Amino acid sequence: MKHRSRLVEVLHRAETGPIMEEADFERKLVAPTLKNLLKKYDIKYNKSVFVPSDDDLTDRVFQAGLDLAVEVGMFCQSTSRRIVWTRSELEEGLRFCPQEVTLGAGNDAVVARTRRPDDDRRVIVAGGAYGTPVPEYMYIPMSLSYLKEPVIELIDNPSLETVYGYPIKAGSPWEVLSARREAELAIQAANIAGRPGISLGCVELSPTALGGLAGASWGGYRPTDWHHAPILSELKTNYDMLSIVTHVTRIGGVLEAYYNPIYGGFVGGAEGVAVAIAGGLILLNQTHMGDTLNTRPNHPFYNCDTTPELIWAISLGIQALSRNTNLILDTLVGPAGGPGTKTMLYENASFVIATTVSGQSIMTSCHSASGGATPRHASGLDSKICGEVTHAVRGMSRGQANELVKQIVPLYINELDKKPIGKPFNEVYDIEKIEPSAEWQGMYDEVRNDLIKMGLPLDRLKY
Amino acid sequence: MTTLYDMQNEFVTMLLEESNTEVMIAWTREVLKKGTTPLDFFDEVFTPGMAEIGNKFSRLDIFLPELMDAAEKAKAISDQVLAPLLVENTASNGLNRGKVIIASVKGDLHDIGKNMVSLMLQVNGFEVIDMGVNVPPRDIIDKAREQEVDIVGLSSLMTTSMPYMKEVVELREGFGLKNKFSIIVGGAPITKEYSDAIGADAFGNDAIEAVQKCLLLLDRPVVS
Repeated sequence: MKHRSRLVEVLHRAETGPIMEEADFERKLVAPTLKNLLKKYDIKYNKSVFVPSDDDLTDRVFQAGLDLAVEVGMFCQSTSRRIVWTRSELEEGLRFCPQEVTLGAGNDAVVARTRRPDDDRRVIVAGGAYGTPVPEYMYIPMSLSYLKEPVIELIDNPSLETVYGYPIKAGSPWEVLSARREAELAIQAANIAGRPGISLGCVELSPTALGGLAGASWGGYRPTDWHHAPILSELKTNYDMLSIVTHVTRIGGVLEAYYNPIYGGFVGGAEGVAVAIAGGLILLNQTHMGDTLNTRPNHPFYNCDTTPELIWAISLGIQALSRNTNLILDTLVGPAGGPGTKTMLYENASFVIATTVSGQSIMTSCHSASGGATPRHASGLDSKICGEVTHAVRGMSRGQANELVKQIVPLYINELDKKPIGKPFNEVYDIEKIEPSAEWQGMYDEVRNDLIKMGLPLDRLKY
Repeated sequence: MTTLYDMQNEFVTMLLEESNTEVMIAWTREVLKKGTTPLDFFDEVFTPGMAEIGNKFSRLDIFLPELMDAAEKAKAISDQVLAPLLVENTASNGLNRGKVIIASVKGDLHDIGKNMVSLMLQVNGFEVIDMGVNVPPRDIIDKAREQEVDIVGLSSLMTTSMPYMKEVVELREGFGLKNKFSIIVGGAPITKEYSDAIGADAFGNDAIEAVQKCLLLLDRPVVS
């Protein structure tokens, strides 16, 4: 992990950087800096576009993101200090970032590689319930509903509502116990599916470092799994997250770092989100040193990332990075809709089209039903649609993608404020045979056919 | 002749566009000098104006930094101009709708949702004490007791922090404080069912509903 050789420097800067109040960091530094950069680089949201293909705009977003990273840095909540870097340090970090990464082991291993906009190179498909809380009895059946789909090559599992029937409390021994239990169940599900080496996103149950470290210790998640180390919105880390980065570095694990800006929050509107993605992921590369870098911005009222503004912002932010760096990028779809709704299937399709042609290397899905916030509301088909669409749009131009998304968005946009969370897993799947109900499968097939009629080659046999 | 409605529009525009708080304070004083009573200004200009600011945010016509700036300017006008005058005029029904402490409970470091609720409460006339994030249950109880608050607002974005909400409710019962303050809960994984199950007094689905529920808890008219 050559790019993580600066670990000690990161920890040192977290203890020596400029001191600041956390509230001032967001309000007096992040928000005004972003506002000035939007003006300086003339970056404006264009309502009529879903998937931008203006390379000059894309490059301006990249420059604004780099400026943001230099001027703001990342805030460490534990020390009340900013972790700051010079422009040349950030550029060197980008120059030596990983350009490919192997996830998983043995026959189940996959390789994610850097991509560009309009690229026809293969995209890896990750699927799972992404931390959606489920009861213990439902954990393996729900995980299997994703694992049994061959289009899914990486898994990111649900999290547990309870452990051995007891509530799980952050920062307590319960967190340690539940992280261990989660690893046990996740690995068991992979074994049952006949995919023992598949890379597993982990640790879902790690609100503090306790879960992250306990779950990735001996007998738990493996170095070949996909270890998550997020930052908080906006641009904030802390000792818990840096402890996970440190631990995963020392066990030689694969690291996924992510940042989810809030639309309408301190970063402002769509154009602010785009620049925040560019700047935030540059800082993630430098400070959390992820092998893969993810973003999943959030709408504050619909709890999703599939509104037209956010699709535009994510597409632009990802393009800015994929055109100008070799970072391995991925985005997570968080629909407002849930299992058993066409709304979710259309939301997922339009998000995946926009982000895949923008140059992401891994498509991750999905935070079903109000952005993953509804317990038990997730199912394998939620991610299958994402996988199918991902492969169908390989090599498609951004212009073509824009036309497709333009057709799909009206099919779901009026539903987003109605909380279309759908049904829980056990009402859309037979949880013993792990098969979708006839109704849910029928809905899936109808949407798939609609998308084929719109010109999406989902029936192409060769991926 | 300038109507109270025109004045309200001007007030909203200034809250969003005037960067100098002193200019706004001077403008308010000028309006009062010309004959508008403090109570009329509060009822017909200030309160509906702030409600409009809240509505603009709920439609995302404005964003969090603008909402915070507007709330800060309004607070300065309220503290420096209106409150002293309204105290003199005993007919006033008061500027303060109630005292609330708000916190993200232990184990949860997310603060944007909590901050939005805090601001929406402030623009709707509540006094808010923000305890920040990752706050242990015992600290919340102690602060509520010390500050003699009307409402405790608890936020959690993570299922693993939810048990700490239950602990706050249990500690309130255990220390015999149930009749001292109400508890409202909210956050992405929180539901009405969960709120009922742990014995909280109210659940707010988002910042706007949280304000309405707080008004109901204090038996005040709900602002639309």
